[in-house]
Amino acid sequence: MRTLLALTVVGGGVAHATLAPTLRVAGVTPDLPLIVVVLLALRRGPEFGCVAGFVAGLLQDAAGGGLLGVQALTKALIGFAIGAAGGRLAVTQPLVQVPGLVLLTVAEALVRFALLKLFRFPAPLGELLAWVVLPQALYNGFLGAALVLALSWIESIRARSA
Amino acid sequence: MRVRKYALLLVLVAVSLLLLTLQSRGYGSRAGDLVAAVTTPLQAGYARVTRGALAVWTTYRDWKNVRAENRRLRAEIERLRVEALRVSETDDENRRLRTLLALQERLPLTTLAGEIIAREWGGWVRALTVNRGRADRVARMTAVISPFGLVGRIVDVRPGSAIVQVLTDPASTVGAHVVRTRTPGIVEGEPRGTIRFKYLARDGAALQVGDVLVTSGQGGLFPRGIPIGRVRAIDDRGAALFNYAALDPAVDFGRVDEVLVVTGRSPQDLTAYFLTGG
Repeated sequence: MRTLLALTVVGGGVAHATLAPTLRVAGVTPDLPLIVVVLLALRRGPEFGCVAGFVAGLLQDAAGGGLLGVQALTKALIGFAIGAAGGRLAVTQPLVQVPGLVLLTVAEALVRFALLKLFRFPAPLGELLAWVVLPQALYNGFLGAALVLALSWIESIRARSA
Repeated sequence: MRVRKYALLLVLVAVSLLLLTLQSRGYGSRAGDLVAAVTTPLQAGYARVTRGALAVWTTYRDWKNVRAENRRLRAEIERLRVEALRVSETDDENRRLRTLLALQERLPLTTLAGEIIAREWGGWVRALTVNRGRADRVARMTAVISPFGLVGRIVDVRPGSAIVQVLTDPASTVGAHVVRTRTPGIVEGEPRGTIRFKYLARDGAALQVGDVLVTSGQGGLFPRGIPIGRVRAIDDRGAALFNYAALDPAVDFGRVDEVLVVTGRSPQDLTAYFLTGG
């Protein structure tokens, strides 16, 4: 089970660099590792969410050739926070999933922007929010909700056949 | 249990901050190498699987168009179409590689052909991973080109791969000039995935839509005369010191599969060697 989860995290991180461009809609790509981390953190708790976020973020940092540690840090924080709050969230409702993932993506982006600013990242926040963060947040929201629904559908089919 | 949970978070945050501090002091390449040793073969595998899956999808769509025909004929047509797709795919690839090879032979400088194995297209970073790295003696800040023009520069070199910062990356800047008027300026990437030309207003009065921009060769990073793009629209800011021009890139960064890494230098203007030059 642990091997499978490790493969999911590593696979999610690596697939982001190869698979995400093919999921591009109007120039917007989803943040697959963020969705994977949130889903795993909800199911496995803050410790697993934190480690999964760190590994997936580190792989994304490496794939982009940027500063190693930025997304490792932001995604570890997101994984921990979602894992810790998981029990209190009604995550089976799409009305919670979509805005939840949108807010998480924006929160992660703001922390990432603040960190990158320390290393002289040149892009202005307004343009990044308008052209990158918000479109990606919406995409993440709908894709994440679709994945949650698909997973619960598969689980219900399994339960019925058992 | 509660303490362990927070201790783990603190450790991971500390590791991330340590990594960032080390990189800001110039010790980051070793950590990057370690991660790349794991990710590069996986990325290459994923790229192969993704391309394969897309080819199957294209074939399936073509199949749907011949549903109405009788089974025997349909089976025959399906078989022929699959074969034709394979042939046309090979044909396209051959044509692309031939163009690349022709450019490589034409150029008066040494280059190294490479294949794109991964793309980071999130918006914060726009980068390509090319399957050429330290083992091929590729260096940082090397120009990467296609038969249509400049793709970007190498910003990170790993043992078997290198990361190419594409022109549309928000942190990308390249010295350029307009071929027709020689107006100098800088081509910048924008978060929305486009590029623009920033130039002194007093130099750019004669700039027109359709003008071709090439690298200026200033600073010695890029050879002079590699096409960057064409002026799509001019943003005249009146009395401002700088004006801007929106550009159509010479290269379709989303579809480029094979590139040349420029390993040599040439003082010559290269504009005439490219497909869109002039």
